[in-house]
Amino acid sequence: MQPRGESVLKYIIRRLIIMIPELFVISFLVFMIMWAAPGDFLDQYRMDPSVSPQFLESLEKELGLDKPPIVQYGIWLKDILTGNFGYSFYYRQPVSKLIWGRVFATVILSLSSFFFSWTLGIITGVFSALKKYSIWDKILTVVAFSGIAIPGFFLALLLLYIAANTGWFPISGMVSINHSQMSAGERFKDIMWHLILPTIALGFGGFATLMRYMRGSLLDVLNEDYVTFARAKGLPERKVIYKHALRNAINPMITFLGYSISGLLGGAVIIENIFAWPGMGRLVYQALIQQDVYLVMASAMISAVMLVIGNLIADILLAAVDPRVRLE
Amino acid sequence: MRKLLVAALALALVASLIALPPYAASDKYLGANAHGKRGGTLVLGTLNGPKTLNDIVAQETSSTQIINRFMASMVERDNHGLWYPALATSWKIEVKPDGKMILYWYLRKGVKWSDGQPFTADDVVYTINNIYFNKKIPNDFQDLFPADNWPKAYKIDDYTVKVEFNYPYRLAWRYIGGTPIWPKHVIEKYLKEGKKFKEIWGVDAINKHEIVGLGPFIPVEYKEAEYVKLVRNPYYWKKDADGKQLPYLDEVIYKIIPNTDAMRLAFENGEIDVYAPRGTEYADFKAKAKEKGWIVGTGGPTFGTQFVTFNWNCPDPIKRKWFRNEYFRKAVAYALDKKRIIDTLYNGLAVEQWGPISAAAKEWYNEKVLTKYEYSLDKAKTMLVLGGFSWNADGKLVDKDGNVVKFILTTNAGNKVREGIGNILVENLKKLGMEVTFSPIDFNTLVQKLVVNGKWEAVIIGLTGGDEPQGGANVWKIKGALHFWNYNPDVKSFVDPKDYYSPDWEKEIDEIFQENVNFASKDDIPLVKDMFSRFQELVSEHLPLIYTVQQLFLYAYTNKLHNVDPTSMGGIVTWNMDWIWKEK
Repeated sequence: MQPRGESVLKYIIRRLIIMIPELFVISFLVFMIMWAAPGDFLDQYRMDPSVSPQFLESLEKELGLDKPPIVQYGIWLKDILTGNFGYSFYYRQPVSKLIWGRVFATVILSLSSFFFSWTLGIITGVFSALKKYSIWDKILTVVAFSGIAIPGFFLALLLLYIAANTGWFPISGMVSINHSQMSAGERFKDIMWHLILPTIALGFGGFATLMRYMRGSLLDVLNEDYVTFARAKGLPERKVIYKHALRNAINPMITFLGYSISGLLGGAVIIENIFAWPGMGRLVYQALIQQDVYLVMASAMISAVMLVIGNLIADILLAAVDPRVRLE
Repeated sequence: MRKLLVAALALALVASLIALPPYAASDKYLGANAHGKRGGTLVLGTLNGPKTLNDIVAQETSSTQIINRFMASMVERDNHGLWYPALATSWKIEVKPDGKMILYWYLRKGVKWSDGQPFTADDVVYTINNIYFNKKIPNDFQDLFPADNWPKAYKIDDYTVKVEFNYPYRLAWRYIGGTPIWPKHVIEKYLKEGKKFKEIWGVDAINKHEIVGLGPFIPVEYKEAEYVKLVRNPYYWKKDADGKQLPYLDEVIYKIIPNTDAMRLAFENGEIDVYAPRGTEYADFKAKAKEKGWIVGTGGPTFGTQFVTFNWNCPDPIKRKWFRNEYFRKAVAYALDKKRIIDTLYNGLAVEQWGPISAAAKEWYNEKVLTKYEYSLDKAKTMLVLGGFSWNADGKLVDKDGNVVKFILTTNAGNKVREGIGNILVENLKKLGMEVTFSPIDFNTLVQKLVVNGKWEAVIIGLTGGDEPQGGANVWKIKGALHFWNYNPDVKSFVDPKDYYSPDWEKEIDEIFQENVNFASKDDIPLVKDMFSRFQELVSEHLPLIYTVQQLFLYAYTNKLHNVDPTSMGGIVTWNMDWIWKEK
């Protein structure tokens, strides 16, 4: 038998190699769907009395929209192999630069809501399962179901409304307008202060869902024979729960984790729009509306890569915690 | 006798003293009469950040609203569309007997760029000859002039520029005078370094502090998707009535808030100083104004138009006949209940529109010539009878060949007002026995149908407008690229040349748009006014487009701002930001 470390490495490499044809197919499909959608980026100018047909034609040529789609795709593919993600029609900047500019804001919001929902979700889920049918469990259940039932945008607007009426939190953006004059410490505080409401709005639904999953999963395990056996053996309750029950209950959560990771760079369109958060979601949404092809392509590629990597991480973690799972 | 002569002489002297250059409302620049206090930061909200600061490249207001702060032109407009001297103190228009036209511009002395360099005739000549009329830099400004017959600018001395045209052109003065002037010394340097013109002044230029202008505020910081910061131009040339240098404000910040609900809350929370309320919000704002310290009001109708129109060249030849039938269109116009639209969709904050020129374009709007088809279903039915229509046993409207009148009305989905107008109109058309299906579709799909393949029947759509009717030439000329309800077969191949119909009044409108621009001298102004009156008369009577209603310009701003005078032309604070001031 091979040593485990080497087989894991081999497995990762194999998964990454499979990724290449996957990305190729995805990119081709996305490009063709964008092309098949009615109209193009220039439509917004076609109904403008001040834009002449000659000028439209010169724009069409400049943006390469006059070429057949398969040629356009070929150019894109060739460029991307040399590390050039193309040029955004709408923002008139290289796509890579645009996306890079949004990464910080996107990741900071994703991570904060990720930690918010996961830590709170797991802790309250475990707590709720252990205090099954107690008054605390019931309160948490109500909170969880309202969290699942309230749409994110509504919660966001509600939070905005509270912020507007109390003045405790800023309404919009990631930084204050005098941010550039602040010291490093003040800047950090400024961003944290702006981060609170979007984090809650974005993470609340996830927290509620995770809590219910955790609770259900742990309750299932607590009824298993091996838990009864562990208790019968005379192990202290702490050990029974944390060593035996929780380790088994965490499996379904890990699959979930994989999906969460894949969304880290995707941004959150609605929440970003409501809170004027300068993230990826807003960028891509705008790009979709404007049919800004290369920006859409780049974001689709990032999402695809992140999904594959997220799944890979989940599979590896699953294998690590559950000896029954083999990486083949 | 001698006394009389002296008096006459004195009178002539006075007359020559007060004679203004043509088209100008005053010989003083805008802001010359202002009083105020220096200091303060104006914070504005915007849905999108700038995409470029290069005026040639910029197509969207999110970019031009920043560009217009740091660029300036030889003449500028107030909030009612009247012209005033700016970088030029005066000018002269000469139309020669041989048809040539010469514009003389006398530039203001002692003006400096924001980097301290002097502004001279070289900058103006460079801007006209090397930038806007440069074959290697295609731009939409060139389209305003006949191709390959472009004007040429010459420097007479450091402060006099002459622009020569081979033909008289009425709009030349305002287009040349209103075009932003570029700093020759800066642009030449970039081009020498090998930069392409379109790459100059992308948004990166802000943070690199590369922007140089003649306007009141210079952009110095851009945080992508967050805000743009502009600071006072230390060399700005304007002075107020007390001799203080303008602008009053230290800084202007455009905060990027991509969502209108959040924009509203930001205004309520005091994070931004100005907000343009929607019709549905207005009553609420007005009620809270006193307590919150806001100034809330309406500023007359806006320029944009919304109308119903029919495809005279739609794929079905039977329907073409209905849509080309003037009585049919008149019936639809009578069935359009504008009052109800205003009450239910605009909360009363709109006015009825009858003709193609907005009442906001004060110089050209002529209410007297407009035919008004006030809502009346009885009159609508009379029109249908006159048009040869009748009703069958089921009460359905049929044409004289017995075809049941049914068609599809569309608009761009998501525009709640247009969807509302559609519902109200369809309800009334059904009462006339028409079978109308109302199906809003995605904007891009709609544009394809309207301007590319012609596969549509009836539509509710709008066009942007301005204070100069000639801006709509693309829409009104028979061979115009936006004459989409009745394209000429030469323009679009989907129009069947054997079944093309263009009534005489359409040709008359075409002539008006071809010819008015030839009347360039000051004495021709009344003639041009007559031509555009005739245009309004023809459109309102024959109804190629059936106009609906126009929203009123609504505004709200904090009472800490002073010298604010909002109109739809000038925006809330846009037109006179250089002499607005803010209490601390």
